[in-house]
Amino acid sequence: MGDKDEFYIGYVDSVGKNTRKSIKVFVLGALGTLILGAFLFGFFQRPASNSSFDFDTATKVSGVYHEMPYPMLRVALEKDVHKNILLLGFGKFGANPYLKDICKKEGTLEGMQLTIEGNLIYYNGKTLLQIDDSQKISLTNSSKKNPISKEALGKKILEGEIVDPKCYFGVMKPGYGKIHRSCASLCISGGIPPVLVTSDENAISDYFLLTDLKGNPLHKDILPYIGQPSQLQGEVEKLEDWHVLRIDVTEIEKLNKESSIY
Amino acid sequence: MGLDYKLVLWNKHKKTYDKLIALGMVVYLVLFVMLTLVFNPEGTAETMIIRAFGSLAILMLHIILIIGPLSRLNPSFLPLLYNRRHLGVSMFLAALIHGAFSIIQFHTLGNVNPIYSIFTSNMDYGSLTNFPFQVLGFLALLILFFMASTSHDFFLKNLSPSVWKGLHMMVYLAYALILLHVFLGAFQQETSMATTGILVIGFFLVAGLHIRAALKESKVDAFKGEIDANGWLKVCLVDEIDENRAKIFTVGRERVAIFKYDGKLSAIHNVCKHQGGPLGEGKIVDGCVTCPWHGYQYLPHNGQSPPPFTEKVATYELRLESGMVYVNPRGLDEGTEVEPVKC
Repeated sequence: MGDKDEFYIGYVDSVGKNTRKSIKVFVLGALGTLILGAFLFGFFQRPASNSSFDFDTATKVSGVYHEMPYPMLRVALEKDVHKNILLLGFGKFGANPYLKDICKKEGTLEGMQLTIEGNLIYYNGKTLLQIDDSQKISLTNSSKKNPISKEALGKKILEGEIVDPKCYFGVMKPGYGKIHRSCASLCISGGIPPVLVTSDENAISDYFLLTDLKGNPLHKDILPYIGQPSQLQGEVEKLEDWHVLRIDVTEIEKLNKESSIY
Repeated sequence: MGLDYKLVLWNKHKKTYDKLIALGMVVYLVLFVMLTLVFNPEGTAETMIIRAFGSLAILMLHIILIIGPLSRLNPSFLPLLYNRRHLGVSMFLAALIHGAFSIIQFHTLGNVNPIYSIFTSNMDYGSLTNFPFQVLGFLALLILFFMASTSHDFFLKNLSPSVWKGLHMMVYLAYALILLHVFLGAFQQETSMATTGILVIGFFLVAGLHIRAALKESKVDAFKGEIDANGWLKVCLVDEIDENRAKIFTVGRERVAIFKYDGKLSAIHNVCKHQGGPLGEGKIVDGCVTCPWHGYQYLPHNGQSPPPFTEKVATYELRLESGMVYVNPRGLDEGTEVEPVKC
């Protein structure tokens, strides 16, 4: 068969020399493209943080429950050293639905000692606990302890990105930015507290729990500002190892630049 | 060609084709996973799966899109077209894994329906940089789903070739949506000249090959032959047509293929009834016009597929005068017998 007469028919076994050569070139080119693509897409990835989520390991944590305004457990690490563990629910929900049963039974839990079995999430000094079953919450001691002390630090203007702490501190990587924005919106609208991750190296903290001006939880109102560089301002309070920023959502300024928390 | 519908009419070439698709996909995934484990060891398995299958799907889509124009420019690439649907379905499966994992990761276990969440969890539709890029990917995945699920001759026949072709031309809309999905999504956060560059080069390759193929075909459409007193179109000298091959001319609004074989000339409509392949780029094999795309066959003197097949195309009358070929622009009904012109 001459080159000019070559004619490929799929259901006929023979293939002309010229056609065979062209196919070989194409197949090698396509495989080369895939190999090059794998190298480029595999190599040029922004390294993920070393945050952790113990999704397959349950841990029992005991501490004093408080809401200021988000549910937390104040755990004693050693004498006079405490860590406040932020409580979260399963999936994209806050902890409140899981605390409902025990609240019904005991009334307000503020200041009571609870033991909760859940999955730890931790990164950069912060610890969170996912509760996936209300039955895994038990009252250890109903005698009430004093609430934790608050320290007012005055008005601050801060730049950064609003994230949902569950994903940011370990469940998803990346748990910030545009790619993750939809998930963060669902998490925060589902009751997970919004957290500002600051991009300012001189800020007094890397992380701020956000509340409204009266210190009440913020959820739906803040959704349009999640996952993008923004400037926030408000009164800062220090609650031991957490900082809280009280804001007026309408004063959040979206910054037209790439987020520098990446 | 097949008389009844089978899931796949396997033959030697299709098996080789599919083995190469599987090899390419496995090589890509293994390399991507290994590199990710080495250079991004803290990443999660879900993110690795989403990125591996998403990037694989977009590279495969580029390979798929260059096969069409490449085959039109050089027929020796036609075997790539023969089983392209398997490549398309494989690409859809990669895109589906990417999409499904993304929806599970970002949109499930929340307080709204995951599909509703895709459209509503980011409402910045008026912004370019903050545009909800996941919506674009979801719409592209829907198009690819409809294409993959109808990627069988059963649907081709029952939807009619023109509807089927129209549906499958939506791959270009899906391609545009996917490029926007990536450039307004992943590339806004995972910015790198290398990954952006490979897709920019890919776009210019796809666009450039399509433009070249269109220019080649526009030469056929630009043909304006003389019309004689009887209204017949003067097309070419008989010697310009190779033995067992055809020349294609645009007659009125239709393309007509004039074949020379066994000392005879016959003219039939250029468009194959199967997938619209260019019959004039085919060849006379065993006395039949054979489509270059999938080997569908027609008898040159009546445009009918040989029994037991039932496809038919329109035929045209020819006249030969002093070595010059004339065609009657008024086509005859599909399958009409026309006495071949002796040459």
